[in-house]
Amino acid sequence: MEEVIDVPGAPPEPAVVSQTLGNEQRASQNPIDNTVATESEPQKQNVQEQEKISAQRITNLHRHLTALVTNIQTAADARESMRRKDLEEAREMRLKLLENDMKSSQEKFAEITKGWSLAKDYVHAEELQIALDDQQRLLTILLQEKKSLINHLQEELKVGDDRFVKDLRKQTEERDLMLERMEDQIRTLTLAYREELLQTQAVNRQETDDLLTRDMSEWDQHIKTLGDTELDRLTERRKTVAEHEAKIHSLIFHTLDKQTAAKIEQNTKLQVMEREHQKILASNIIIRLKQIKERHELDILMNNRVESLPTEKKKSITTTHSTQPSKKSQHLSKEYKQSVQHYERLQKTIKQITLADTRTFEDMWLTVDAEVKQLVEKALDIDSLICKQHYGIAWQRPQLPVRGVHSDKHFHRSGHLQFSGLSQTNPASHRSRGMKTETDTESTDVEVCKDRSVVQSDGQAELEEEENMFSMEMLTKVMEPLWEEIGFLMEEDVKLLHCLDKDAQTAMKLGSLLSSLGIKEEDLPELVHFLLKYRQHQEEQTEDVCSETGESHDQAASQGTSSTSDLIQPHKVLPALKSFLQQYNKSSQQQSSARHTEAWSSSEDKAYWESLGNIISEDKVKLWEETEKRLKQYNSVLTEISELITETDSLKQQNAELRMLLQQSLNPQVA
Amino acid sequence: MPQSTLPSASDSKVPEGSKKTRTIISEDPCWTLSLLPRLSDLCLQSIANNFEEHPLFEQLSSSQRDFLQQRLSPSLPLHVTANLIGDGVYWKRRCQQLWGLCDVSHYGHSWKRMFFERSLENMIELFIPDVSDPGNLLDMVHHCRDFVKRLRVSQLLTPVMDPQRVEEEEVASDNEYEGPSMDHFDFSILLQKLSRLEELHVVYRVKECGMNFEWKMFEMTDRDCESLATALESCKTLKVLRLHQSHVDDKKCRLLVKHLLDHPSLRQLDFSHNLISDKGARAVAKLLSRSSLQELDMCDNHIRDHGAKAIAHALSNNSTLLSLNLRLNRVRDEGGQALGEALLRNCTLRHLHLGGNEVGRRTAAALSEALRQNNVLRSINLSCNSLGEDGGRALQEAMCHNTSLTECDLRLTQVDEDIVSSITQLVWANQSSEPRQDQEKSGARREVDEMRDEAQEFTG
Repeated sequence: MEEVIDVPGAPPEPAVVSQTLGNEQRASQNPIDNTVATESEPQKQNVQEQEKISAQRITNLHRHLTALVTNIQTAADARESMRRKDLEEAREMRLKLLENDMKSSQEKFAEITKGWSLAKDYVHAEELQIALDDQQRLLTILLQEKKSLINHLQEELKVGDDRFVKDLRKQTEERDLMLERMEDQIRTLTLAYREELLQTQAVNRQETDDLLTRDMSEWDQHIKTLGDTELDRLTERRKTVAEHEAKIHSLIFHTLDKQTAAKIEQNTKLQVMEREHQKILASNIIIRLKQIKERHELDILMNNRVESLPTEKKKSITTTHSTQPSKKSQHLSKEYKQSVQHYERLQKTIKQITLADTRTFEDMWLTVDAEVKQLVEKALDIDSLICKQHYGIAWQRPQLPVRGVHSDKHFHRSGHLQFSGLSQTNPASHRSRGMKTETDTESTDVEVCKDRSVVQSDGQAELEEEENMFSMEMLTKVMEPLWEEIGFLMEEDVKLLHCLDKDAQTAMKLGSLLSSLGIKEEDLPELVHFLLKYRQHQEEQTEDVCSETGESHDQAASQGTSSTSDLIQPHKVLPALKSFLQQYNKSSQQQSSARHTEAWSSSEDKAYWESLGNIISEDKVKLWEETEKRLKQYNSVLTEISELITETDSLKQQNAELRMLLQQSLNPQVA
Repeated sequence: MPQSTLPSASDSKVPEGSKKTRTIISEDPCWTLSLLPRLSDLCLQSIANNFEEHPLFEQLSSSQRDFLQQRLSPSLPLHVTANLIGDGVYWKRRCQQLWGLCDVSHYGHSWKRMFFERSLENMIELFIPDVSDPGNLLDMVHHCRDFVKRLRVSQLLTPVMDPQRVEEEEVASDNEYEGPSMDHFDFSILLQKLSRLEELHVVYRVKECGMNFEWKMFEMTDRDCESLATALESCKTLKVLRLHQSHVDDKKCRLLVKHLLDHPSLRQLDFSHNLISDKGARAVAKLLSRSSLQELDMCDNHIRDHGAKAIAHALSNNSTLLSLNLRLNRVRDEGGQALGEALLRNCTLRHLHLGGNEVGRRTAAALSEALRQNNVLRSINLSCNSLGEDGGRALQEAMCHNTSLTECDLRLTQVDEDIVSSITQLVWANQSSEPRQDQEKSGARREVDEMRDEAQEFTG
């Protein structure tokens, strides 16, 4: 502030300026301190306050710094105005001076001019000289005064120039100072702004961070909720899928069951229909066979007629025409053979089927029966145990039901076996067509009953006794001519037979005969009876025709005409046999079917099974349940007891130990 | 290189020059397709090269225009480029080529405007009367008339005096030769052509005159004043006139004001640092009452109480003036009192500068009376006056009732420090209350926004 002090007539300003400047500086420092204080404060203040404070700070700074600069300007202004004032004063003084000077010089000039006018009046040279001198003196004084004035003014000018130069210098200095201060101001302002910027940045950053974290957490939460809902939906969907799958499965099974049921039904229907079809076929075949037979019979009759005719015609006409019918007959016989074979095959198969069915049925029956019986036995054992041990009641074995049908079956079988045994004893029976397979299939059963086949004659006798038909003797008697009659059928066997004894021979003969005829053994008495009856019947009848037909019977018949017997006429044996066979076939068919149905449909079976099932009565069952309950209770009590026993054991042990301890404690005391 | 694989015997025979000629492009490892310039670029380059003969710009797409702006030569004549090429990189390049550092923000961020304004200013500043050809200048004006908005002339050269002519003048002072045709550049040829000129800053002085100093270099002659006044009258778009440090005295001021009295658009007038005294001030006061001036700067003149009274009278009836600067004049108490009384009736003036005017206690009393009632005045500067204790006290009292004043400069006014500080406190309070109102408004708006956000959240 030296420059300011230099200026004359401006004493108050510097102090004021300096004071104000100092104040400003102090004031400008204070807000910074304040801001520093605010900076140190925690940044919990919200941004608004921060902004407010910072704005205030900046305005303060602006104010003070601009004041700092404008101070100089105002000081310069003040100085300028002072200078002008001075200049004006100086000018006024100068003007006054000049005026004064002018006045005095004008007076003097007037004096001089007066002197000149006076001088004209002077005549004397001396006077003139004196006046001239005066005038000269006055003029020189005037000139001197003027000169001094000029000098004075020049001096003033010089001083003014100096002052101007000084002012200029001062102004430059001041300008420099102002520039410096302005630069300072700019610097401090930039610093302040930078600080401000940093602070606001920090605050904003914090705010953004806060916002970010908050948003992030919110986002996480949202995502979590979304995931949860998705999961729930997924589980629900899974559940529904599983339900639907189960439904689909059940539907599939349902339809499958329906389908299978329908299939089974259809199958059964189909089987029934097939069976019917088979029946129809079989009946058709039978009908056809009958027709064939009838035709055959007719043929036989015709042949006989034809044969008798040539014999008759031989005598009268030469034989030439017999070729045609013989051809025809050959053809027919061939056909017949074929059909018979076919028929036999069919029958064989039917028999096989029925036999197999019966056998399986029997096996089943046997096994089931055995199992059931075992079960019954077991149940009875248990019952007996319960009765005897738990109730102490005397146990009575209930009556086991006996199966009647079973015995029947047995009988049948035995008969069968006997017969088969017979057939087996005759291994050479090549002709045995119908029974051969049967014997083979039943070979297993044969082993069981071999003993009987050895004593076949006894068995036969028994059989005949049971039947109460004919005596053994009678039978043999009747059968002998039959055997004789058809003995030719087994010419090769005859030689073998000779080495056997008579009984065996007859049995062999009988077996072979029967097998060749296809008659079952049990029907033997029937055959005998029939034959006997037939003889009586035939005796009245004239000998009809006994011609040879397709098979061995026919041949036998043709040759058998010559054989004789006391019981039956040998020539009548064949037709009798034929008629018997006819009858027998029918009856055997009926019998077999009847027997089967009898075996199946008998209600005894049901009763039998039920009785087996109910071998333990309702009361007994109740009793059993009661005993079971009781036994369980008993068992529980027992288990409790067993647990308690362990406890008691431990307690006992403890007791003993305690006693020991007591004793030990007592003993030392005593000791 | 195939040569390297050849045996050394043949290698030695091959001269160095042929080796270089044998290289093939495909063997150049640096060569890629991207090195090839595109055909469109080549075309644009050729357009740029032959722009003077075949100027093509309007038809091109914007990207192609950008390309051209980058490539066009900055030395192209202005009659080609001035009206064809819009504001952009090309003008930036030209500016930077001419002046190096440029601050485009002072020119409305328009490089083209900057280029033309600065080049025109340069031409005016370097115009030597009777030597330079005004034709060049007129050419230039012809090109730039649509782009120049402001002229800041910082010097005007005087005509060159030939030593011979000087002697001649001395010898035959009353010859037919009447000196140079003009004393400075004649604005009348220029201003009426610049149809968009809004600001004119003129200083009649020479920069860096060195040892050739002459007083007339630093003053406006009557002839200059006349030509300038007619030129200003012809320029109807002018808004700002600044004529400072140019020795404008009362006579010239009155001449200028006479021509500006009915100017349709003048808003700002600056006669600072001149020699205007009461008569000139009276003329300016007349202008104030006639035109719609908004800012008047008369600082550093010689206006005394009479001039101030005239201005005060005009001010009392004025309703457009916003700022009045009478710094460093000699208004004194009479003028100050008149101004204070005028402020009682005026209700538009916002800024008043009475610094360094030798006003005293009475002015302070009158102003404080005005401050009690006036609520428009924003800033008042009374620095470097001898207001005294009484004046300060009166002002302090008045400030208690005022709420509009945000600046009050009382430095170096012989007022007690306590009073000054209390007044500044009051002023600061007013200052902070102003933005606080804004803040309250913004705060209210923020609250409304927050409420709206909350409502959106609830509805969402």
